[in-house]
Amino acid sequence: MDTSEQSVESLAPLESGDLRLGDIPLQQTVELVNIDLPEDQAEPLLERGVLPGCQICPVRSSPSGDPIISVDGSLLALRRETADCLCVRLLTALQDVS
Amino acid sequence: MDELYREGEVAPSNSTPVKDPSHAPVVAMIGPPNSGKTTLFNQLTGLRQKVANYPGVTVEKHVGRAHLPGDQFIDLVDLPGVHGFSARSLDEQITRDVLEGKISGLRAPDALVLTIDSTRLESQLMLVEPVLKLEIPTLLVLNMWDELEERGGYVDDKVLGEQLGVEITRTNARTGLGVQAVQAFLASVSPQQATPPERNLKNVPEGRPLPMMDAFTARRQHVRRIVEAAGFGPPRPSGGSERLDAIALHKLWGPLLFLAVVITVFQSIFTWAVPLMDGVEFLISSSGEWIAATLADSWFRSLLIDGVWAGVGSVIVFLPQILILFLFLGVLEDSGYMARAAVIADRMMYRVGLQGRAFLPLLSGYACAIPAILAARTVDDERDRMATMFITPFMTCSARLPVYALLIAAFIPQRPILGPFLGQQAAVLLGLYGLGIVAAIGTAFVLKRTLLKARPGSFLMELPPYRIPSFRSIMLRLVDRSKIFLRRAGTVIFTVTLVLWVLTQFPRTEVGPPPIDDSALGQMGQVIEPVIEPLGYDWRIGVGLLTSLAAREVIVGTLGTIYGVEDDSEDSIVLQEALQRDLTVGSAIGLLVFFAFALQCMSTVAVMRRETAGWKWPLLQFTYMLTLAYVGAYIAVRIF
Repeated sequence: MDTSEQSVESLAPLESGDLRLGDIPLQQTVELVNIDLPEDQAEPLLERGVLPGCQICPVRSSPSGDPIISVDGSLLALRRETADCLCVRLLTALQDVS
Repeated sequence: MDELYREGEVAPSNSTPVKDPSHAPVVAMIGPPNSGKTTLFNQLTGLRQKVANYPGVTVEKHVGRAHLPGDQFIDLVDLPGVHGFSARSLDEQITRDVLEGKISGLRAPDALVLTIDSTRLESQLMLVEPVLKLEIPTLLVLNMWDELEERGGYVDDKVLGEQLGVEITRTNARTGLGVQAVQAFLASVSPQQATPPERNLKNVPEGRPLPMMDAFTARRQHVRRIVEAAGFGPPRPSGGSERLDAIALHKLWGPLLFLAVVITVFQSIFTWAVPLMDGVEFLISSSGEWIAATLADSWFRSLLIDGVWAGVGSVIVFLPQILILFLFLGVLEDSGYMARAAVIADRMMYRVGLQGRAFLPLLSGYACAIPAILAARTVDDERDRMATMFITPFMTCSARLPVYALLIAAFIPQRPILGPFLGQQAAVLLGLYGLGIVAAIGTAFVLKRTLLKARPGSFLMELPPYRIPSFRSIMLRLVDRSKIFLRRAGTVIFTVTLVLWVLTQFPRTEVGPPPIDDSALGQMGQVIEPVIEPLGYDWRIGVGLLTSLAAREVIVGTLGTIYGVEDDSEDSIVLQEALQRDLTVGSAIGLLVFFAFALQCMSTVAVMRRETAGWKWPLLQFTYMLTLAYVGAYIAVRIF
């Protein structure tokens, strides 16, 4: 397993002003824009269908305040540190058609 | 129990003429976790299965034989559930290696059964494409079909199969619905040529300089086109699961329920298991007495009864406890609660440098470190797994209890501390549990900042819908556990007790075995006496410490022998009095602390060696825990 800490490379540059999943209130569906994590940490997310373009809805938070999200009908628990690395955008016109 | 057959061998079958022993078709079962893959495996094989380890690593290999109509049979391999093939975890790596045919001594599968959960069709299909690229004959099983329909979902499985270019069937493995179709597929499998073509299983296609995320996105779009063509309508969210999660993950009720579950598991291990353990002990001792009565007094009788029967028996006594633990763990896991428990535990674990998945192995460690260390393979980060295994033996396993019970009863007066709620003896016992937890936390904290340093990893846990556990599945797992445990008792413990017995029998005198202090074992105790003298122990305790290296509880029997007590269970009062003469309260407390910290369990060392594929970690762990035990005992002796 790669352990070098220097070669941490994001998958894509972060656009300023992006919303993070951690900022989204419960039950609001958003679209994932980018994953601001090194590849080895992003891969498990990608495998489970957390991909740019997918719709994510934070359905509840754990007792310690970490988000539990719904993606493609699956429930995933994340750490809030991870949620803060997921750049999302609000769904404007299609808000209710999830 | 059916005789276990080896890889590549064909078990003699009484009804089937063996066609070609070297070419019994092998079918691998793969799929994401919680897709019902193992339930289907159990439906197909029943009791004709065994658990072994893959060569070189200790990922458990579940192999079973499926008997098909027309006296045919096929060997099924149940691979660990995976989400992908990045080989981040041991489970993923093994699945990949098996599918690529890269494990020596294991035949590459002739066909695959790929099981997915129909209610999560879209995300689960992400696993399908790389598997189909392998061009091994594959059956795609849409499992939990009834649940999809119940929740108003739909997909045209014919179109789906055509679009994917794969044979497809729908099942409900729990009720056995659709299992015949799977059997029909298995019956059609014929062994492939001896050397399969070079295979390469990758999450991301090679050859194109495509960033990983784009590759996944492309696959996702491909999957979406296919499910749209098949008219997929996603099911409604499971209302029942949502209502249960509202409690299980509630800010207040969630942690309380978590605590209640942990307490119940403990309670069951320590109180409900007791009558069963007493029963097993009675069976062992009475059968021993019966055998002793039928044999003439000889060295052989001594070896059989005092050596083997007592030694192996002292371990088999723990079987009920371990089975009860696994019964609970099985129910918690299959119901879907374990994933929630991991989420609740994650923040706590994260502070120490671990993650939520470490909760299950650490909890198991209270019964026995060996299954717990095996359970650590679900921890997907290699460093976290290492740290989890390293601290697991600090959890107060049940083998420490006989030692604690003896010393506490002998040296700690029973006085109330908190009225009728907490006595002094119970407080000491609780303190010893606490000591283990503190040592574990401290060790993990240090490890994750030194040897196992890494940037904080991520924690990602899929929460499957709640389901009623299948009785059959859990019972089959308990049978597995019993086999593994008894096999261990029959090999490792058997050997150790044999060696110990021999050491007490030599050098021979004219009249027979030597007195214990002249025996080889006694002399070894005297050799280490200078080392343990600062703790206030003489060679007798030294011998006990030596024998307890095999397994902690062995010290009770050894001390019984040394102090000339015939039967430690009946005459434990006599042993207590003998100890009171030889030890001060301070050195007794020191001994308790020593047992709380030291890794006196050769089976744990052995399992660590296999799990970490080398001697480095087990030796480090053993030395570290021994040092901690010695220093801790020394301090305790000075304080009390």
